Amino acid sequence: MPASPASDSDEVEDIELVKRSQTGDMRAFDALVTRYRGRVYAMTYHLVQNETEAWDLAQEAFIKAWRAIGSFKLDASFYTWLYRISHNVTYDWLRKRKIQGDGEFDDERTDHRVAAGAEAVPAAFAAPDVAMKRAELGQRIQEAIAQLSPDHRQAIVLREVEGLSYDEIAEVMGTSIGTVMSRLFYARKKLQELLKDTYENAT
Amino acid sequence: MRIQAPVTLSLLFAAWCCGVLPTAAQTTTAPPTTAAGKSAATDGKVWGALVYAVTDKSKLTGAVEKAPDLIPDLTDRLAKAFPFTDFEILGQHTQDVFREYESWVVPSPELFLKVDSKGPAEGGGLNLHLQFWRQQTVLVKTDTILRTGSPLFIRGPKWRDGQLIFVLALKSVGGK
Amino acid sequence: MKTPPEDHDLIRWLDEEMTPAERTSFEARLEADPTLKAEAEEMRQLSLSVRSHLPKEMPVPHPDFFNSQIQVRIQQMDLEERRAAARPAAAGSILSSLWMRLLAPVAAVAMLAAGWLALRTSSATGSVVVSVYTPDPKVQATTVENTEAHATVLLLEGLDAMPAEKNVAGLSVHHAETDAQLATTTLFDGAGQVLLVMGKDARNQPLIFSHGTPRG
Repeated sequence: MPASPASDSDEVEDIELVKRSQTGDMRAFDALVTRYRGRVYAMTYHLVQNETEAWDLAQEAFIKAWRAIGSFKLDASFYTWLYRISHNVTYDWLRKRKIQGDGEFDDERTDHRVAAGAEAVPAAFAAPDVAMKRAELGQRIQEAIAQLSPDHRQAIVLREVEGLSYDEIAEVMGTSIGTVMSRLFYARKKLQELLKDTYENAT
Repeated sequence: MRIQAPVTLSLLFAAWCCGVLPTAAQTTTAPPTTAAGKSAATDGKVWGALVYAVTDKSKLTGAVEKAPDLIPDLTDRLAKAFPFTDFEILGQHTQDVFREYESWVVPSPELFLKVDSKGPAEGGGLNLHLQFWRQQTVLVKTDTILRTGSPLFIRGPKWRDGQLIFVLALKSVGGK
Repeated sequence: MKTPPEDHDLIRWLDEEMTPAERTSFEARLEADPTLKAEAEEMRQLSLSVRSHLPKEMPVPHPDFFNSQIQVRIQQMDLEERRAAARPAAAGSILSSLWMRLLAPVAAVAMLAAGWLALRTSSATGSVVVSVYTPDPKVQATTVENTEAHATVLLLEGLDAMPAEKNVAGLSVHHAETDAQLATTTLFDGAGQVLLVMGKDARNQPLIFSHGTPRG
């Protein structure tokens, strides 16, 4: 059996893996997938709040990245580039779902989606702390985030989870900095409102 | 074309497979005798198994069948091909395949295979006609080239908390 | 009374997007305005909570499968592209008429055609599903060459689940004997006990005559 790529990936820089991927080396790309799948999946999950869809969208993002890797400029940050692709893929899906009607899944890609075994996918995210209160708070925060619109949710995720600057958020979301600030402000106010009871009961 | 084809490795493996003697466990198949009493030529041997795949280990049935050396990393391969984490072999059956006669590969009376050999395939392996049956119903019919080192995984119906998967592997080519 | 630009000041301060001069100025305002200060503190707490409860990285369910699926789908796309490029050659193939009769989903035809062609030309060492047919139109078959798993996968959609109360018994077949005249196959276990006898009925349907105690 060929050696697992994971054994090399720690020593090899992104740039090296990307260069090799650009020449068609799927093993190198596979190492990049392993390296970044956790982050890409977290990103899509925070946005769509559904494990199965997030899984599919993370797949899409990597596949698109493979297709476009020839055009990636080696002096840029691979992760930011990948992130942008993930964002676009997720937003396309959200937009399409909005057009088709809320709550309807896209059934076109049935083969691999069913293969992902929708019912069989276990909960991927567990609260890191076993304390009930903290777990409850985490749950409430997730629920509150889910209630935001995608734009507001994305702004919060990019800022709080990814730690992007306003400039970077604007670039990822394809909007102006002014819009980014409005969205962040509104999102935080909304979350405060939704979590008001939680905070009061949390202590 | 970006399919990785480790040709040398596979050919070596295939050669090794053909040369290996079957294990004592379950490989003896008496070839069918014709009216004149002559044995039909065997084109090769296949190994069939019914696997139960789950994501929760506690849901396994506790079957104790072990995979033969034929595919030692079977569970790893299944985990790569399907979104499950735990697998058990419910039943297994090694069977000769013939050109003139059909064979049945029956690791379970619930799901089984009818196999007809159409002879060796170009590039190694056997040309097989397979029918995947669920009791009295044929689920799928297929013409497949089965090669050593490359099993066929047929994803069957869901059952209880998991999925039933039929595995067919080519054990050897040629009579013995 | 706060106006929109002031709201922006608040979050800009929170997110460290202010210049040092702006920060100094804003912090002075905070000291002078307890309401604003309280609001800023509340927002800061929220930020911390959100950050600690929304992980940057999450474990992907079925990570091996995730990776191998990506590889498989990339290969499928490549095959489809090659098929499109090789179309004149494929059209003349005698097998294409067989596929037209047998296969319902067009995508499956394309993929199998491309897959078969491509794999033949590259002297493949994997198993190949050359053609596939599902008698029940409700059942759809898709084939996937999974190089990561070193296996060929035949996926069947639209199958009814096996009832939960059914005990799907496995057999450990030690050897089989076929009687060509009676067209039956007897399966034996390691102890020489009959596990079951396979035969066929008048319509050529498989018939299981009897079996001993199946495992399970």
